[in-house]
Amino acid sequence: MNRWVALLVPFCLGGGWLSPESVRADEGHAFFEAQVRPLLVTHCYGCHGGDHAKGGLSLESRQSWQRGGDSGPVIVPGMPEESLLVRAIRHDAEASPMPPESQLAPEQIAVLVEWVRRGAPDPRDSVTKIAGMNEQEAQAWWAFQPLADHQPPARKSGGSEPDHPIDRFLLEPLEAAGLAPAAPADRRTWIRRATYDLTGLPPTPEEVETLVNDPSPDAFARVVDRLLDSPHYGERWGRHWLDVVRYADTAGENTDRPLPEMWRYRNWVFESLNRDLPMDEFTRMQLAGDLLRRDARGDAYAEGIIATGYLALARRFGHDIDQENHLMYEDVIDNLGKAFLGLTIACARCHDHKYDPVTQEDYYALYGILDSSRFSFSGCEAKGAPRDLVPLLTGADAEQWKRPWLAIREPFDRQISELEAQRPTLVADWQSQAATKRVLLAADVEEAGGITFADVPGAMLDNIPVRRGETLMLVVAPRGNHGADSTLVHLEIQEQGAGQRRWTTDDLVADFPHSSPHIGPADAPVGWHFLDLQAEPAWLNERLEGYENQPAIKIWRRGETPSVLVNTSDQPIRVWTELPARSFLVHPGPNGPVAVAWVSPIDGVISIRGNARDVHPANGLDGVAVSLEHFADPQSSSTLGRLAEESSRRDQLIRKRDADSGPEPMIPAAFAVVDAEPRDASVHIQGDPEKKGATVPRRWLGIFGGAAVPADAGSGRLQLADWIATHPLSSRVIVNRVWQGHFGRGLVRSVNDFGSRGEGPSHPELLDWLTAQFEAGGRRLKPLHRLIMLSAAYGRSSIAENALVDADPDNRLWGRFARRRLSAEELRDSLLVVAGSLDRTPGHAHPFPPPATWGYTQHNPFAAVFDDNRRSVYQMVQRQRRHPFLALFDGADPNASTGQRQVTTVPTQSLYFFNDPFFHEQAAALADSLSDLPEPAARLDRLFRISLQRSPSEAERAWAADFLAAYPGDDRDRWAACCRLLLAGNEFLHLD
Amino acid sequence: MLFPAILQQLQADEGDPLAPREPHFPAKAKRVIFLFMTGGVSHVDTFDPKPALTRDHGKELKLDHPEIKNRPGYERIFLKRPQWAFTPHGECGTEVSELFPHVGGCVDDIAVIRSMHTSHSNHYNATLAMHTGSFTQSRPSIGSWLSYGLGTVNRNLPSFVVLAPAQTYAGTQVYASDFLPGAHQGTLVVPGDSPVANLAPRVSPDRQTLELAALRSLNEQHLASRADDPTLSARMRAFQTAFGMQMAVPEAFDFAKETDETLASYGLPRGQTTGFAWQCLAARRLVERGVRFVEVIDTGSSGNWDSHGNMLDHARLAKQVDQPIAAMLKDLKRTGLLEDTLVVWTTEFGRTPFNNTADAAGREHHPWAFSSWLAGAGVKPGIVHGATDEHGLRAQEKPVHLHDFHATILHLMGFDHEKLTYRNAGRDFRLTDVHGQVVKDVLA
Repeated sequence: MNRWVALLVPFCLGGGWLSPESVRADEGHAFFEAQVRPLLVTHCYGCHGGDHAKGGLSLESRQSWQRGGDSGPVIVPGMPEESLLVRAIRHDAEASPMPPESQLAPEQIAVLVEWVRRGAPDPRDSVTKIAGMNEQEAQAWWAFQPLADHQPPARKSGGSEPDHPIDRFLLEPLEAAGLAPAAPADRRTWIRRATYDLTGLPPTPEEVETLVNDPSPDAFARVVDRLLDSPHYGERWGRHWLDVVRYADTAGENTDRPLPEMWRYRNWVFESLNRDLPMDEFTRMQLAGDLLRRDARGDAYAEGIIATGYLALARRFGHDIDQENHLMYEDVIDNLGKAFLGLTIACARCHDHKYDPVTQEDYYALYGILDSSRFSFSGCEAKGAPRDLVPLLTGADAEQWKRPWLAIREPFDRQISELEAQRPTLVADWQSQAATKRVLLAADVEEAGGITFADVPGAMLDNIPVRRGETLMLVVAPRGNHGADSTLVHLEIQEQGAGQRRWTTDDLVADFPHSSPHIGPADAPVGWHFLDLQAEPAWLNERLEGYENQPAIKIWRRGETPSVLVNTSDQPIRVWTELPARSFLVHPGPNGPVAVAWVSPIDGVISIRGNARDVHPANGLDGVAVSLEHFADPQSSSTLGRLAEESSRRDQLIRKRDADSGPEPMIPAAFAVVDAEPRDASVHIQGDPEKKGATVPRRWLGIFGGAAVPADAGSGRLQLADWIATHPLSSRVIVNRVWQGHFGRGLVRSVNDFGSRGEGPSHPELLDWLTAQFEAGGRRLKPLHRLIMLSAAYGRSSIAENALVDADPDNRLWGRFARRRLSAEELRDSLLVVAGSLDRTPGHAHPFPPPATWGYTQHNPFAAVFDDNRRSVYQMVQRQRRHPFLALFDGADPNASTGQRQVTTVPTQSLYFFNDPFFHEQAAALADSLSDLPEPAARLDRLFRISLQRSPSEAERAWAADFLAAYPGDDRDRWAACCRLLLAGNEFLHLD
Repeated sequence: MLFPAILQQLQADEGDPLAPREPHFPAKAKRVIFLFMTGGVSHVDTFDPKPALTRDHGKELKLDHPEIKNRPGYERIFLKRPQWAFTPHGECGTEVSELFPHVGGCVDDIAVIRSMHTSHSNHYNATLAMHTGSFTQSRPSIGSWLSYGLGTVNRNLPSFVVLAPAQTYAGTQVYASDFLPGAHQGTLVVPGDSPVANLAPRVSPDRQTLELAALRSLNEQHLASRADDPTLSARMRAFQTAFGMQMAVPEAFDFAKETDETLASYGLPRGQTTGFAWQCLAARRLVERGVRFVEVIDTGSSGNWDSHGNMLDHARLAKQVDQPIAAMLKDLKRTGLLEDTLVVWTTEFGRTPFNNTADAAGREHHPWAFSSWLAGAGVKPGIVHGATDEHGLRAQEKPVHLHDFHATILHLMGFDHEKLTYRNAGRDFRLTDVHGQVVKDVLA
């Protein structure tokens, strides 16, 4: 008996008192423990256990190997030969050799093979994990729970402060820590704080006065209401949201193309907040407004489309963005996870989330929903023009929009169709003339070459009998190339016999513009037709007198080409080529010939002479073909005339119609998203779109129940919107953002991350209570602002006792108000306000060049700054080139969700206050506005009230007097400098 | 008028993102000059001699290359010979082409890496990655990472300066601090008369001195009851710094005291304030003054090394940079700065050793292989690391991905690239993402 058999023997001996199944299980597990587990631990866990799952494979539990790795299941229980694990440890050719560095000993391989053969008995139950969290922990995760019914704790203290539920929640832990909160801020500080918070602008001196002198108990509440009613409220709080959704006016791909319609979404956000749209509706609209408002009309319909600009706002990537769609979807998933749910879902693109219960399947379930939608396309270097913008009017509304334009065109269109009705008869008549056609000459004119008719072999130019009304046609056609060859022609028709009359194209030069068809002077009434032969003959009926400032050039043409033209001057003229003095030229169309036709005024015999020459030689072109055709039917000229006249009248009608109506009015469109063909996405193994794994049905996150998108529901965006909007997590996330907007930090400081890598709430009961109030109040923001702003906590001073500051340096207990620096937008807007230059009207579209002119490449990407004196939220924001001012003062990142602005202090900001021209201009304007006050004291008072919303102290008056006295220059210099100091000072830039 | 507590605040550097910090382990290199050649320099025409490419000129190839996939006219491709001769230089004998005669003269101080490779063939992505380690998303630039890791020793100058005549691919993202604190973002200096925005005083020095003092006094009154707030005092310090910058920055860019000999060595006419020679001399002066990371970009996103149409354009571009780079290396050596300054020369990718006709004048983008070099503090001088195959197609021996390159630069600066991290959006980010191996062979 060799060692292998000896080793296995103990497991073949059963105990008779157990059932056969359990005996086998026990034996198997004993075998596993004795033989298999040590091998796995020693040789496999290094890469396939613990935190390691190379190739997506963990061997740490039965469930984990049952699930398998990137290459699928690795063990087929009972079938070693079918098991990838066995092939790998044997170092079979088609499997990756495992362990990679050295093969297991033969006896070790035998153990594992035997284990698989026995059905791979494995007692190791995994702690069931959902991606990065174990299942129990995930189910119990605080942020995912329904809102708990917390009531504010009983009031213990608070002194003379009004009783406010928020304060009850906040005071309890403060008192527990033996701390007293800071005193209330003074009214001037409070209104400055409240006005910036709700509008991003400073209060006027009058507004400050009103509050300071208002003894009524609801004085504060009325200020809050007034501010909430201001249109600037939406701009301020909309900007918070634009930070989160990484709003930009460009696409961010390699050329950073403009998104000229994106502003509609921006303004929709502002307007929605101004009318206090419930937040669940706000969420639904952004994810599926097109579906919600599918059957609406007018503005309600347009609003649904515009709101999906949230999705279309996705950053675009690369040279050909269609090739990088998976990155765009990642950007959307990343953003919607953070913005609405506080979850970093995009971490699951390449592998299950490492810390949160979000699987890779979850990611691709959402991916499928997005991939079943059509995103407006920004254009890119590889595919220039934007497309798939979504019209804001449909059906009857679109008709209505176009009606005035159609009304102008309608009578013309009617006449045109009447004319067209006659056309088949005319065409048939003309075709019958072709039977009488005789080709007198046919020759090619090589590039830069020329022919003389008489030298063309086979030409029939003499003794040609003609009758009155017959037609002789000189036809010049393009050869292989595009036909743009100017050809000098000369045609001479000599009557033979008695009359000796002579007709030449030279005769036409002098009164060429007179008409087309050309009727000669009364004494020699002969008809010439200048014809477009690209289809049935049509007159060249567009007259150009002069060309490129050369009045001597006269042209008859139909569109750009074909044309017949003359140089009437005695001198050659250099235009696109040199036109000889007193010359007659023709220019064929790109796809068809041009012709000069002579109508015989006589019954007699003629001979013909002439020549043709290419006068615009160019490399690579191949000249023209010339022919001379005789229609030997006296009716031919009138048939030709009727046909050409019909064309000409049609041309004229079309021209008049287009001139009268103007171009078709563009239906306003939005950069937005609509449903496309629904399709499930496949997992991209390791995030590589080339490596497709299993297809994942479109559904909601597994941890939240994983509800499927119904079969007939289209993309599933509407369902996704509902799942998100009704989940308590999304309410908690938005309430926390509002808290941050007022207090500087959220109750959950990681505002975009409510997962296990974020910070938990400092006051979980308060967060849930506020969220419950928010939901009960219809998920509107304005009541929430009111609730928060009327708390004592919001009204506290930012200046506190040392004991409080020392005990709670980070202000986690909200015992005082957190002083904050003005944001970039607040700073710029405030400078405009104090200077009296702020344009308070809403901005609309940016002055981008029209898309037809875009030649942006990665070498020459779009780059511009379009600043005006409107509020900063309306300034154009580019993704690839940070706006210089916004970048300097920590504006939002237009490429990634900014949950909270950074606040940095760098010397380049100070340089701005020293030397920036815009800053100097605003300060000078402010100084000028003071100049009507003769008294320095009054000036100083107004300066302080405008910029700091208070009067100067005695010390400050002395300070100003000293400075003004010491500063050289004239009065204007001194006051401008003084204004700069106030505006550069810490008090102006910070909110207490 | 100054309260003692306030005075203390003003002097404190606590929480100052730019305060000097020690790296993870002692390192020779204290600062970096990062020379970036925009557009993709052809390796086989500059630092990677390929005699077999000359020998096999015109031979047809079959490759699955990103630049020719489904590209009309590129159904067949042929090897294309280098257009410049290579000769050994220095005592080490490293071969450099005649495009870089001056840099060739410095090879005894240089470690050439001939086995660089990257993962994208678009300028935008490859350029972004060479700066941030990320091919798609915005991430902090390598200069920002080092500013974050080391702070700076001269508060009158930014810690990270970018000298560039125009924006390169991916725009401001290549020197952005992204989620790192804004103090670490690169300050753009555009060669010319006013290189830094808002630097030129708009009032006379005597007026500005009065203003600064008065501003300080105003802020002190405001600070009196708010002395516990470090951001207020930090901002007061920033005004002092900015005031100093108005002098320090122009001083750094004022070459009046440079000798004729020095200017001549760079090929810079006295008084000229543009051109790569100006940028290189400015770079030397900035590191001399303690700037942590100086990036020098030679051209913008057009008119650069992207010689699709005609490789002869490489001669014009090389001529612009060769002499100034060599002069800067010698200058750093002469002044002893090369002892603790790391010089990096790189580009976003190489150029194809083939094209669709044997006599094509240009070369296409080639992410599979390119050359870069390192010189100075901590670098093993006079060596060649790695090799491409005989035709310069693939980085064959000891391939160095750009993540490895970044890991090596961080190592030379005293950082474990896996430990220089920043917590953002719930995870620890690093320059090398989840990649990167230090190239030990190039360490002295």
